[in-house]
Amino acid sequence: MTVAILASDLVKSYTPGLRALDGVSLQVTSGEVLVVMGPSGSGKSTLIRTFNGLETLDSGELDVLGVRLDAAHEERQVRAIRRRVGMVFQQFNLFPHLSILENITLAPIKVQKRSKPDAAARAIALLDQMGIGEQAHKFPAQLSGGQQQRVAIARALALDPEVMLFDEPTSALDPERVKEVLDAMRQLAKRGMTMVVVTHELGFAREVADRVMFMDQGQVVETSDPQTFFTSAREERSRRFLSQMM
Amino acid sequence: MNRWLDRSITLLILALIGWAGWSLLHWLLVGADWSVVTTNLPLYAVGSFPADQRWRPLLWMAVLITLTLLTLVGPKRGWVRRWLPLAWIAMAPLGLWLLAGGLGLLPVGTRSWGGLTLTLLLTGGSGALALPLGILLALGRRSDLPVLRWSSAGYIELMRAVPLIAVLFFGQLLIPLFLPPGLEINRVLRAVVAFALFAAAYIAEDVRGGLQAIPPTQREAAAVLGLSPVQTLQLVVLPQALRIALPSLTNQAVGLLQNTSLMAILGLVELLGISRSLLANPAFIGRYLEVYLWLAAVYWLACTAMALLARHLEFQLDPVRSSR
Repeated sequence: MTVAILASDLVKSYTPGLRALDGVSLQVTSGEVLVVMGPSGSGKSTLIRTFNGLETLDSGELDVLGVRLDAAHEERQVRAIRRRVGMVFQQFNLFPHLSILENITLAPIKVQKRSKPDAAARAIALLDQMGIGEQAHKFPAQLSGGQQQRVAIARALALDPEVMLFDEPTSALDPERVKEVLDAMRQLAKRGMTMVVVTHELGFAREVADRVMFMDQGQVVETSDPQTFFTSAREERSRRFLSQMM
Repeated sequence: MNRWLDRSITLLILALIGWAGWSLLHWLLVGADWSVVTTNLPLYAVGSFPADQRWRPLLWMAVLITLTLLTLVGPKRGWVRRWLPLAWIAMAPLGLWLLAGGLGLLPVGTRSWGGLTLTLLLTGGSGALALPLGILLALGRRSDLPVLRWSSAGYIELMRAVPLIAVLFFGQLLIPLFLPPGLEINRVLRAVVAFALFAAAYIAEDVRGGLQAIPPTQREAAAVLGLSPVQTLQLVVLPQALRIALPSLTNQAVGLLQNTSLMAILGLVELLGISRSLLANPAFIGRYLEVYLWLAAVYWLACTAMALLARHLEFQLDPVRSSR
């Protein structure tokens, strides 16, 4: 088992004295699906945003796919990581002025220097895989939230990432649209993608996660396999959170 | 009682409007002497351009009108549509070449340029210079580098605090004083540059508004995909920001066209300038009303064409509407 992400003692605060991350350490092995849960403000989004350099660190050290990242936030390292790590946001963040196809092929063409027909063929294949092949020539505003989020997943996958980060991918969706996005993620997990998923979807966590990590106030409270976490969580704080969720 | 009052007021107003309309029509058709306009049409169009070379500015304007019509009511798809943007960009250099001459055409000095041709060239030339400069200033104002940020903001605030006419006088009268004797920058060029420097400050603020409307998450999404900061700006941020800024930029363009009339005060014989010199001609003494009404109509026509083009562009740039 190779290690995909290794974090040791990550500390980050936005306002002095208030730590969004307070000494977080964790390990994600490749092929693993880690689900991060916790109440809002617990630092889970901040945590996965440090993995690809969207947030800087105050101290601590990260090793993502063999690339080191620390408080110095070296631009070259950040870009090296971003080339190999995909990310999906809560608000989809598609480019509204580009068609679905252009959204997906933009980075392959401009960053990976692939040919246009090559990138387009790959994009269509990914869209088909997501079940939205017929939407390729529409624009983001013409799609439902669930479809937009699946486009966002396809856009990230088009760069052939080794790790995928999901930051509350279903939180902005209408309830009836959540399933189609979770299904796409489930498929991805089945094919062995290394995934870190911040989510409140208990069903998804129970079914797909290899491990569940529970965070509160910038700290890791516990990390367990889903079976243990959902039936007999070790910590009082986890149990209280779960009882509120169910 | 009240009803009767209402009715009589309505009737009174109708009678007033009718009377005013009738006298205007009467003056337009009978009272006015339009010879000041009809006999001088070439002057309004091209100024004192040499008579045997008049076809050059006229050709330029004909191309301009054709292009406008093609853009507005031409074919919706196909090669014509694809080449339109390039054709528009080529209009300024084409106009310069046709007016100035060289490269096989007889050279004509800028003193002979005038009329509507000069008005349009001043507008187009300064607009073409001001837009990129304005975009750079807007980006500078939002830069992370304090020096860049402060100097951009300083420039914008300074230019906005100075009246346009002062900037133009500065361009026409003061700049030559600073230049070494013998080196003379063309009058029209000085005007265009002064205009562009002034307009850029306003354009910068419009573009800044557009930039601020783009949520930071768009930059994040681009960064996560591995796009460089320059690529992010060029492919993600600016296309969206400029589209948002387009209505206010149209406003600036229309303002620019009308402000070119200030050049008449500085002795350029653009549309207003040529009209003033015609009014000074003893043959047309006192024909103010005719000339200024005619001028208003020409400016109105040009501005309306610009507004229509801008609305068309707005529609084209709206991905959802134009894809239907």
